[in-house]
Amino acid sequence: MKADTTWEGRALLGAVGLGVFFGLWQIIGYYELAGLSWPSLSSVIDMLIDPNRRPLFGRAISATLRSTGAGYLLGASLGLFLACATHLLPLLRRGGDRLAAVLNSVPSIALAPIFLLLLNRDATPAAVASIHVFFIVYVSVTSGLTSASAAHQDLFTVLGASRVARFWRLEMLAALPALVSGLRLSWPAALIGAIIGEWFGAPRGLGILIINAMQNFQIVLLWCAVFLAVITSLTFYGLITVLERTIYRRFR
Amino acid sequence: MTDEPQRNLDDAAITAEGVTKRFALKGSNEGVLALQELSVKVATGEFVALLGPSGCGKSTLLRLIASLDQPTIGTVMMRGERPAALAARHAFGVAFQDHALLPWLTVHDNIALPFKLSGRRPDDEAIHDLINLVGLDEFVTAHPRQLSGGMRQRVSIARALILDPEVLLLDEPFGALDAVTRRQMNIELQRIWLRDQITTVLVTHSVDEALFLADRVLVLSARPGRIILEVTVPFERPRNPSVMRSEEFHHLADELSLALEPPEG
Repeated sequence: MKADTTWEGRALLGAVGLGVFFGLWQIIGYYELAGLSWPSLSSVIDMLIDPNRRPLFGRAISATLRSTGAGYLLGASLGLFLACATHLLPLLRRGGDRLAAVLNSVPSIALAPIFLLLLNRDATPAAVASIHVFFIVYVSVTSGLTSASAAHQDLFTVLGASRVARFWRLEMLAALPALVSGLRLSWPAALIGAIIGEWFGAPRGLGILIINAMQNFQIVLLWCAVFLAVITSLTFYGLITVLERTIYRRFR
Repeated sequence: MTDEPQRNLDDAAITAEGVTKRFALKGSNEGVLALQELSVKVATGEFVALLGPSGCGKSTLLRLIASLDQPTIGTVMMRGERPAALAARHAFGVAFQDHALLPWLTVHDNIALPFKLSGRRPDDEAIHDLINLVGLDEFVTAHPRQLSGGMRQRVSIARALILDPEVLLLDEPFGALDAVTRRQMNIELQRIWLRDQITTVLVTHSVDEALFLADRVLVLSARPGRIILEVTVPFERPRNPSVMRSEEFHHLADELSLALEPPEG
């Protein structure tokens, strides 16, 4: 039987993979095979579900989600807007591409202190997140806007479509799959940006939790924070993957 | 023989004069010569088929008429207007080999698209009449991916006709279909065409299709494309498919096929 060809087979393989992963984690941590800095899975879960810790985790997650969300929306809007602008005004294309490439090549860890000076501490995580999102969305939308087929473009020309009609009724809709792919890929990048931004002095958040736990050698707490960051990232990633499938079915 | 009056080509719907089309090609100074000093007139209400081997430039000629390209030398005019002017006032109907339906629109909305692009309100009654004419009543709300190849081409033809175009351009519309479906589509297209008798240019590589549908068949030579044979089709309309079994049809088909064959050597 080829286990990876059916839905059940894939689910089974995935479950086995996760089981092995978590099993090894537990064994290595429990017998301290990798030293003290590798806690067992059970101790991490114990702390995660500890009611006394819940307010701490809750505050951290909501702070990080808020700045990630704000940066995500801002970056995606800017990326979408600039991509449309460079598409409609080819004169801007080169400049837009360069700007996006430059922003992407500056390490966000170097940008964060600048944002800290320009904005305030609370806004820095969102700003760093938005830079990450901006680049990914800009690149995917600019390529998406040119993805309408030559036959469709010809059709619109012969039917005498205006530039505006061509943009809204053809190019923008043809770009939707690329846009949602960009949105899917940029969520984890937004989260990373927010966490890095938090390291530069945000009052709270998962990034703060990570750095505090590390500096105080609270190993289990550190792993909890990382675990929460991963869950936060994967949840939204999963949600937008569902949206992406729907869009792909309809618009391609 | 046809008892129709001789068409008046002085008042032609489409006039191509001395058209030469050269495509730039990297590493070649002269490029590719697709069409050479070609002149064609199509009368109002006439159905002309362009027949030729692949790569002979027949699609290039159609693209020039459709305003999708400009001739290197010569002019294409339509009653004193340039093709782009006709496109701008939404006077073309067009169907390609690639049906070019928008995958996110239903059959109804795909046919309504030319209305939207011309800034007019879709005429639902006209849309439903056409859907009925191409026999897709049950598929009004279907999306293109749910349709067979033949059905998609029917939608594409309905879309080409929805604005009552002055000029209908068909570029191998049935080229991707199997022989049986293709013949059915030819019969259907004739029935639909007879309703309004729109000036039509059909590009095809099928001799039977050209003879069955057209009033006049022009054979283009291999590149550079030039008109090497012109045949006026004598069969009366509406043409019954049985006309394709007549001796005269075979005779004309032979003549056209011979012209299509590349010279010996």
